[in-house]
Amino acid sequence: MFEAIRYSVRSKAILLVLASTVSALALSAAGLVLYDLRAYERQWTTDLTTQAEILARASAPALSFDDRSTAAKDLALLKVRPFMLAGALYTRSGKLFATYTKPGVDARFPPRPEAEGYSVRGDQLSMYHRVIEEGETIGTVYLVAYYRPWSRLVDYLTIIGLVMIASLAVTALFSGWLQSAITMPILEVARVAREVMSQRDYSLRARKTTDDEIGELVDSFNAMLGESGRRARELRDADQRKDEFLATLAHELRNPLAPLRNALEILRMKNVEPASAEKARQMMQRQLAQMVRLVDDLLDVSRITTGKLAVRREPLALQAAVNDALETVRPLMETRHHQLDVSLPPEPLMVVGDRTRLAQVFSNLLNNAAKYTEPGGRVWISLEAQGEEAVLRVRDAGIGLDPHALSTIFDMFVQVDRSLERTQAGLGVGLTLAKRLVALHEGTIAGRSEGGGLGSEFEVRLPLAAAGVAAAESQPTSQAAPATLRRLRILVADDNIDAATSLADLLAARGHDVRIAHDGAQALFVARGYEPEVAFLDIGMPKVHGYEVARRLREEPATRRTLLVALTGWGREDDRQRAREAGFDRHLVKPPEPAEIDRILEGAAARTAAA
Amino acid sequence: MRALLAILLLGIASLAEGQRTEASEASLKAAYLFKFAGYIEWSATDFDSPAAPIGIGVVGSDDIAAELSRVVSGRNIAGHPIVVKRFAEADPPRGVQMLFVGREASKLAATVRAAQAQGILVVTDSERGLELGGAINFVPVGERLGFEVSLDSAQKSGHRISSRLLNVARRVVQRGAG
Repeated sequence: MFEAIRYSVRSKAILLVLASTVSALALSAAGLVLYDLRAYERQWTTDLTTQAEILARASAPALSFDDRSTAAKDLALLKVRPFMLAGALYTRSGKLFATYTKPGVDARFPPRPEAEGYSVRGDQLSMYHRVIEEGETIGTVYLVAYYRPWSRLVDYLTIIGLVMIASLAVTALFSGWLQSAITMPILEVARVAREVMSQRDYSLRARKTTDDEIGELVDSFNAMLGESGRRARELRDADQRKDEFLATLAHELRNPLAPLRNALEILRMKNVEPASAEKARQMMQRQLAQMVRLVDDLLDVSRITTGKLAVRREPLALQAAVNDALETVRPLMETRHHQLDVSLPPEPLMVVGDRTRLAQVFSNLLNNAAKYTEPGGRVWISLEAQGEEAVLRVRDAGIGLDPHALSTIFDMFVQVDRSLERTQAGLGVGLTLAKRLVALHEGTIAGRSEGGGLGSEFEVRLPLAAAGVAAAESQPTSQAAPATLRRLRILVADDNIDAATSLADLLAARGHDVRIAHDGAQALFVARGYEPEVAFLDIGMPKVHGYEVARRLREEPATRRTLLVALTGWGREDDRQRAREAGFDRHLVKPPEPAEIDRILEGAAARTAAA
Repeated sequence: MRALLAILLLGIASLAEGQRTEASEASLKAAYLFKFAGYIEWSATDFDSPAAPIGIGVVGSDDIAAELSRVVSGRNIAGHPIVVKRFAEADPPRGVQMLFVGREASKLAATVRAAQAQGILVVTDSERGLELGGAINFVPVGERLGFEVSLDSAQKSGHRISSRLLNVARRVVQRGAG
């Protein structure tokens, strides 16, 4: 019983109805009974008093004139009241004057009257009432009547019992209705919820039977199921894409390792021909560049997912970004023997943006075009002004895209065809990145295809800058051999011994004096006696981390002016910010470009020379 | 003085030993007379003022007059004190509302007529009391004392008698009812 109540809303509801019915009835019945018992007694005594008074009035003359027979006749009138058991008249001096006894009743009369008032003895109510005439007591009336409040109480309880049984019957009827109207829909919802949980089938729906609040609940529940199903599907898809991405990533990162290892073996061999050695070196450089590109993509993925992707905003001619992109993809085009048609307008199309990032967008599009076109195909790139917008199109005659693919192609980790030969495959983030970058330039990107095998076209639209914006002088990338610098004192601190040693070797080869430390404490110790002009500090070092080393070096008078360069795998903006706050002058993401290092050293030499 | 009076009374009592029945009968009748007054519906015209006394005249029975004086002393009927007046048979009764004509009265009929003419309710103690014009008449009922009522006579003197009294009367006479 109690278990059922605990686990069943229906039982609770029935219990509630029952409890309220029974308690309401019991309370009202108790009140009624109490009231009635009091009223009964009052009414009965009032009635009896009236009776006695009438009798007193009527029999006063008989008492006055000593007329017993008239008194007896008066008393005999009591027989019309069946509840009257006996009556008697006493004279003024207290002698029994006349009596009446209901037939069949054995009545005994007190020899002398008692004080006026009533008393209950057993089931009899007896009463003495004075007969008063002209202010004088001339006798006493004595009455005995049935008095049975308990039988009345029994009657009451019987009626209440019947009413309660009837109420319970009505309650049972109601509960039946309640079950179908309230608990059934709820149970239905619960059943569907259980099935969804056990079968993972979010297409199940609870049946709606009413339009009341419960119907609303069912609707909301169904809507929630729909939403959950959609989310679960999305999560599953995203998860799957991520899994595939990780698999791709492992694959892509592993791919360059074999050629690298082979090239190393070739270089280690004695008597290797210079031509072979040069070929191996070039191969290593290509593979390394590929790995760096992959890792850059990875970093961009991280920036996209954390919303940290940002672009510089400066005026530039779009042709410059297109040329950068063409530069990047030219080797791939050549490898795959594609014919590349380039159509650029003669006048510069000025936009405000980030040349590197725009070049990245365009090279991504060109890369895709090259990748998804059979070798020996054609790729077109064109740039033109349309009203306020610059329009760049990249078209190919490749495998094309079916309509479904078009809708998902800009999602993260989506790759059109994984069965395609993978040599140039990326991580599936290129178009996602492109879309975000274009959006950051307030532009749009769209893909079009006539269908599978019919080629595809991507179109980037960017707002043109207001007239009068001049192109910033593009920095000529200095490919010149590093100028011979004066000898600098350089400290390299990295717990990765290979990283530290290789950088130190590189710097020593440039003719600098280099010291190495493998943790933060050692770095501080070396710096104190050595007073380096430049310090390359890894951030994640044991004992004392790079930020702390930088702070302490800045506090030391001897190293206050040292050029501090942070070397870290973390390239996000807040990492740079933290490095600046710790006192670093520069922040390089591993692996540092040799050209970048040269520029830093040039700056340091100039600075110390000036000082 | 009080002791002397007590002795005197004792003496009278012992003297009256032989007339004991008569004495108690007189007191009973006196008590009834007083009670009769309570069952007669007096009208305002019977009195000069609401607090005016009810006068009960007695003719022809000194015993009863004496007893009645004793009975009524200090008692009221419907707010009226009671006064008892003794009249000689020759005197016309005056200033009373009720008149008792005792057995010793000789000119019963004349007395009754005279009283009725003045609107006085007459109580008699005679076998022919009602015939002679008495409104209420004492009659012996076995050992007990009873009375009979003539509604006609009462009406003649301008009085109504309570039905409660009629209820305990031995006989109630009304015109046409014999």
